[in-house]
Amino acid sequence: MTELWRARKTATLRWRFAALLVVLAMVGVLAAGALAQGGKSGLIGKLEGPEVVTDPANSPNVFKEAPQLAELVKAGKLPPVAERIGQDPLVIKPLHEIGKYGGTWRGGFTGPADFWNGFRCCSGPDHLMFWDYTGDKAVPNIAKGLEMQDGGRSWLVHLRRGMKWSDGQPFTSDDFVFWYEDIYKNKDLVPTPSAQMAINGKQGEIQKVDTYTVRFKFPDPYYMLPDVLAGATDLAGQGFAYRGMGGFAPAHYLKQFHPKYVGQAELDKKVKDAKFDSWVRMFLAKNDWALNPDLPVVSPWKTVTPINTPTWTLERNPYSVFVDTAGNQLPYIDKVVLTLAENLEVLNLRAIAGEYDYQQRHIDLGKLPVLLENQQKGHYKVYLDPGDYGGDMIIKFNLNYDADPEIAKWFNTADFRRALSLGIDRDQINETFWLGTGTPGSVVPADSNKYNPGPQYRKLWSTLDLKKANEMLDNIGLAKKDAQGYRLRADGKGRLRIEIMTLGGQFVQYTQISEMIREQWKKIGIDLQVQEVERSLALKRTAANEQQLGAWNNDGSEHLFTFPLHVFPFELAAVSTSGPLYVKWFHSAGTQGKEPEPRMKELMEKWKKAFGVPEKERIQLGKDIWKIAVEEVYIVGVVGLGPAANGVRIVKTNMGNIPARQYNSPDGKTPAISRPVTFYWKS
Amino acid sequence: MLAYLSRRALLAVFTVWAISVLSFAIIQLPPGDYVTSYIAQMASSGSVVSEEEAQNLRIQYGLGQPIYVQYLKWMRLVVVGNFGMSMEWRRPVAEVIGDRLWMTVIVSVSALLLTWVLALPIGIYSAVRQYSPGDYAATFAGFIGLAVPNFLLALVVLYLGFVLFNANIGGLFTLELQDAPWSAAKAWDLAKHLPIPALILGLAGTAQQIRIMRANLLDELRKPYVVTARAKGLTAWQVILKYPVRVALNPFASTIGYTLPYIVSGSIIVSLVLGLPTVGPLLLRALISQDMFLAGTIVLLLGVMTVIGTLISDILLVWIDPRIRLEAT
Repeated sequence: MTELWRARKTATLRWRFAALLVVLAMVGVLAAGALAQGGKSGLIGKLEGPEVVTDPANSPNVFKEAPQLAELVKAGKLPPVAERIGQDPLVIKPLHEIGKYGGTWRGGFTGPADFWNGFRCCSGPDHLMFWDYTGDKAVPNIAKGLEMQDGGRSWLVHLRRGMKWSDGQPFTSDDFVFWYEDIYKNKDLVPTPSAQMAINGKQGEIQKVDTYTVRFKFPDPYYMLPDVLAGATDLAGQGFAYRGMGGFAPAHYLKQFHPKYVGQAELDKKVKDAKFDSWVRMFLAKNDWALNPDLPVVSPWKTVTPINTPTWTLERNPYSVFVDTAGNQLPYIDKVVLTLAENLEVLNLRAIAGEYDYQQRHIDLGKLPVLLENQQKGHYKVYLDPGDYGGDMIIKFNLNYDADPEIAKWFNTADFRRALSLGIDRDQINETFWLGTGTPGSVVPADSNKYNPGPQYRKLWSTLDLKKANEMLDNIGLAKKDAQGYRLRADGKGRLRIEIMTLGGQFVQYTQISEMIREQWKKIGIDLQVQEVERSLALKRTAANEQQLGAWNNDGSEHLFTFPLHVFPFELAAVSTSGPLYVKWFHSAGTQGKEPEPRMKELMEKWKKAFGVPEKERIQLGKDIWKIAVEEVYIVGVVGLGPAANGVRIVKTNMGNIPARQYNSPDGKTPAISRPVTFYWKS
Repeated sequence: MLAYLSRRALLAVFTVWAISVLSFAIIQLPPGDYVTSYIAQMASSGSVVSEEEAQNLRIQYGLGQPIYVQYLKWMRLVVVGNFGMSMEWRRPVAEVIGDRLWMTVIVSVSALLLTWVLALPIGIYSAVRQYSPGDYAATFAGFIGLAVPNFLLALVVLYLGFVLFNANIGGLFTLELQDAPWSAAKAWDLAKHLPIPALILGLAGTAQQIRIMRANLLDELRKPYVVTARAKGLTAWQVILKYPVRVALNPFASTIGYTLPYIVSGSIIVSLVLGLPTVGPLLLRALISQDMFLAGTIVLLLGVMTVIGTLISDILLVWIDPRIRLEAT
């Protein structure tokens, strides 16, 4: 029929052959795209950072400001800079040099749940106290100083005179009392009081002393308060204001949304107009640092386009109390623009392409070779900031597991846990998954950490020793093996098979590492099943006590007392657990759950006790806690002190005051610990 | 005709209601709720949500209530045109979707236009010149288009764009213009970013449409009326365009039912890979975070679009093809 339309018909075979050739050529091109290995030497530098100048004698008394603010002052739209800063500025000595004003800092974020991104980069932070760059010592921050009274039962917080909110209203003790009386004590806004506002389970209170002095008062000594105010806790600034915490709040602004100060009818109308379900939701949204551009803040940058839009933009706060040693009001950089990346791959690709100026959050260690390869082209430099916590990958034994009594028995046998730990070849895992940048060992934090019990605890029960592991397993009653060499259960029900639960899509490849451990444990006759589950299911299963082993990391544990959930069973809502019944026991003062074994109990008691004793005693308690944790191997440390979590940093080469290495921790809100207010554009 | 239309409209309303129930139920199926996924998300970024806080959130969001209560609550809002608050975005759902809807429509429509502009002529050519080099080339390219998953293509194009042309990675605007109000510069910027997503999104569809057009047209070309027309002395292209092509267009009309929801959602995976600010990734995200009202509204929207699209298809078919009209009566 086709002859109707054309005269001739060509042979088809020739064309088919040509097509085949084209396909082959394309396959070849794709296969040629091989990854180049990047060197890792020189990526980890010396720990350094800016310092807070606390001596008023060294404080500058003449202030300078960004050019655009100077113009506003000239136009009469803004008071002079000295008036805006007040009498007691927060002086920061930049790491290298005094910087220059101007420019934009571009970064990426992953959506409305990624608010930590902005807290870390741009909130200053606005904690009353904060860590020095070593992450070990709490120094004054938004507060001018703390004064202990009455043997730790009472703490005077001295505020900075003349300090202002970002809308120019004075920042005073009334903002603390408002927070305490009308937010914190309001059962609708904060239904459950914070454990950090209490000592030995007894709640503290906040009182006004005078305009610039506040008293935190507790029934028992609370020596830990400075650290609690410094860490990323409930009392640490407006970061957690979205859930009613913070320690202070802008009373003059928030009163218009609070039923105590506004008539019910008027409030209802406001709620309805803003399309909220309740005044509580509205109040918390208005009090959200990342969401509400109108919220007065004390952070150096403030949100101008909120986090629930495609770009989260923050601009300098003209009333910032931060200054450098030459009296320049900080920050140097005008504006921070975080663009929404629909997924992590896009975020990492943009980083590789040099579209970010400074990005640390969400950068994938696995991309290190490609990141290094594109350094010149993207005009950036790669730094690694290994964490101070012991485990980028840890394995928790669920000590409360009870669905299978045989397995429960072994999990509660210390030598079983120790033997399994000895059966892991950590060096192989470190080379494969950390590209050699991690440190194999137990769960203890870095040697420099004040609670580290001593270098020998990194290795204790945490080296590869197959002979000893096999001996130990033989001796506890697991000597019998089946034809494949796997150990048999003592109750005669076949092979001893244990399960590890992992989550996919995380920066540490828990599933793949667990598969490697599965291979390694074959040599000690242990049959490990790896189960990757979806995260909501993981939470449900841990809470229902259905988990056997769980893989996760212990980031945050370097701050043992403010971040204990990966040290002992502390949180119910966790993706891996050491024992949900112990959690209940711990928080109900022994009325619910299950009483822990003696050493676990000892560990928990020491942790509780530490809050009410002076620092020296507390450090000893901290060391004891880590000793118990390592000796008993409740949690197996695999590889840690590595840069897997938020530890790969790319920075434009012309950005100044960038530390070679910085303290990497959620409690330090890294990079806030390096004071991004002092970062600047050299050109 | 009027009775037919009103019957269809009534059925459509019922279908949409059924879709709303179904979508709400499906969103509730996975274990946990918004709060669980929120906790997990927090855990992944190194922070903690305490048990008390989780309980508090559940109370505030009303997640503890039975499903039918939650559904009724949502329906009461939907009926008055308020789709509720997105839990994750903490903004009214209508606003969250509205932000992205126009972008999605622009991307999808340009992809669709591209598909048709490419597929129709190539399909016709392939059929008319069956087994010619051109047909083989089109068939070859078409099969590649069909076989290569377009998210992979998207990744390859992104990479090549970056390596060869230093192009922006993903998105529809350059950073500087993203938040700027609409202007000539911004429109031009969009025009520059549009071809790649449109091409990638359109390619798989193009291949498919080429095959459909080719097959249909081949069927028609063999029919006696074509030979007769040709014999009567009409030129080749006159005959083809006037008769067989018109008949072969039927499948295009009937695919509109599926095209409409696609236009508002965009391709989820490709949009995700290319970082496009469209509704697709929003839906995926809402499903993952179990943001019920947002996910429910998008699914409902897609359902409504499918129903409307099918209705339009039916009417179009009746209009294009008299045979259907005759059979129906």
